[in-house]
Amino acid sequence: MAETPEVKTYSTKKDFMKKFKKKSRFMELWYRFLKNKPAVIGLILFITIVLLAICAPLIADYNEVAIKIDMGNRFNPPFTDNLLGTDEFGRDIFARIVHGARISLTIGISAITVSFLLGGALGSIAGFFGGRFDGWIMRAMDVFLCLPDMLLAIAIVAAFGVSTLNITLAIGLAFTPRMSRVVRAAVMSVRGNEYVEAARCIGARNGRIITRHVLINCVGPIIVQITLYVANAILTISALSFIGLGIEIPTPEWGNMLAEGRAAMRQYPHLVIAPGLAIFFTILSLNLLGDGLRDTLDPRLKQ
Amino acid sequence: MSDSLNILDIKNLTIEYSSDDDVVKAVNNVNIVISKGKTLGLVGETGAGKTTTALSILNLVPEPQGKIISGEVFLAGEDVLSMKEKRLLEVRGDKVAMIFQDPMTSLNPIKTVGEQIAEGIRIHSKLNKKDAAVKAREMLELVGIPGDRILEYPHQFSGGMKQRVVIAIALACKPDLLIADEPTTALDVTIQAQVLKLINELKQSYDMSMLMITHDLGIVAEVCDEVSIMYAGRIIEHGSLEDIFDNKMHPYTKGLFDSLPNIEDRRSELKPIKGLMPDPTNLPSGCAFHPRCDYARPECSVEQPKGKKISDSHYIECHLYNETTENKLGGTNE
Repeated sequence: MAETPEVKTYSTKKDFMKKFKKKSRFMELWYRFLKNKPAVIGLILFITIVLLAICAPLIADYNEVAIKIDMGNRFNPPFTDNLLGTDEFGRDIFARIVHGARISLTIGISAITVSFLLGGALGSIAGFFGGRFDGWIMRAMDVFLCLPDMLLAIAIVAAFGVSTLNITLAIGLAFTPRMSRVVRAAVMSVRGNEYVEAARCIGARNGRIITRHVLINCVGPIIVQITLYVANAILTISALSFIGLGIEIPTPEWGNMLAEGRAAMRQYPHLVIAPGLAIFFTILSLNLLGDGLRDTLDPRLKQ
Repeated sequence: MSDSLNILDIKNLTIEYSSDDDVVKAVNNVNIVISKGKTLGLVGETGAGKTTTALSILNLVPEPQGKIISGEVFLAGEDVLSMKEKRLLEVRGDKVAMIFQDPMTSLNPIKTVGEQIAEGIRIHSKLNKKDAAVKAREMLELVGIPGDRILEYPHQFSGGMKQRVVIAIALACKPDLLIADEPTTALDVTIQAQVLKLINELKQSYDMSMLMITHDLGIVAEVCDEVSIMYAGRIIEHGSLEDIFDNKMHPYTKGLFDSLPNIEDRRSELKPIKGLMPDPTNLPSGCAFHPRCDYARPECSVEQPKGKKISDSHYIECHLYNETTENKLGGTNE
């Protein structure tokens, strides 16, 4: 598609200064993002899920609907009085799903933030400076990588007790080794470029070179991995909850909903289909979004 | 200790690269002096050590493989090699700037050219973002690109335009010394001429000194005041433009000139220098050029020739001139 001329011409100096601000760049990226259909679908899906999570108290009262046991309304089928039916305790499944989204998304995103801050810092130091730094940091990461991250998370939660904070930290730490490897690989592929050398030649400090020149050029692979890891973290929370080490009953969480619904799954499949689809759509939206962001943030892929 | 007029004074610089078991002597005992406002051309084949010499001026020889064995690099009287990291950061970009060979790779692909020009300005001056952007726009116009294009990304520019942007970045802080590392090698001939003209004009209006690294003698003739010919990490001949072009004395220098096509006599064959650059891990004994030299004498393979001053400006390292200062190359100079 041809570029619209108004994006490019800045007739007056004032006009130009206005355009120089971040906003114009953001708008340009935004237009580019909009051309990517799957990414837009992913974004809409993700925003919908986030909005549902934010508006959960407006949709259904937590105490009155989401966790209140109502034995008179057990196993209502979907699309009757309750949009997605009710579970074995007569609780509205839709209400539980939207309230569960709050927990899954919050923990998923904050856990990956933890792992990105830790793993990103370690990975970029290892990748950028190489040599001894690289050896020590990556060998330490390899040790943690030997433990399956689920096992690591279980160990941390078991050791420190079940709480939202502990689950977040457990998942964050469990994902740190993988994150550091991704960042390290991306940094190593970029650090040898001539523009990094050129940045040194104009007197930029190492910290500045890493953040402004190296990491920013790694955004593509890192952002894709981050979205995938958020999806993974959500799965891990669900898995922890499923085995009873995550979010405790009766707090609604997709994983423990699956666990609870498992018993009556054969007669009432909607008990597991609903939380299953919630997980599925969340992860799908994150993956589509991740791919789209990568394409958008890399101007070289621009048509 | 060093003359205050000399912007750059490199003394007895020796740099080695070591790999697992080989040691590459990239730069051997090199001396370079550039006085204020002058341009020195550093000419040599690929692998002669030109770029390594240039990087040492910024103390950016890649570690840990590269190691500066000995020597001093004075930048306006200050020794770069013994500088503290903090002072080095101040010097890089502000006092010395570098133009890289390939503009395709020396610009950050995901930052606008404006940001990249402004970055150096913001590192070295206290300008805020807005003022730096205005300055960046001025620099862009100075190198002949419409200021409106400041928000565009490197991939939206052609090769010649990119090199102009690189020049704008280098000159943004008005350095005292500009190092141009084969600035036109990646460009086609018509653009080469434009870029050279631009560099020359800016150099004069900014009153800069320049180190022009190249293997193109045509460029040397156009922009340089003095020339150093480098072979296998040594400067084997140095002189003013006239010394080198009209009274070249080293057989290697002669070989370089003979390799150029002769426009007046189009039927004459090219006379390339026979053989190849020696393996830098295993340099020939004595004069490194002797296996390829038509004038080689017995002592050439034994002893490293001593440097000799032919005249005030003309310096040479060759056994042919051990006893005499007369040109021994048989008057082949046009």
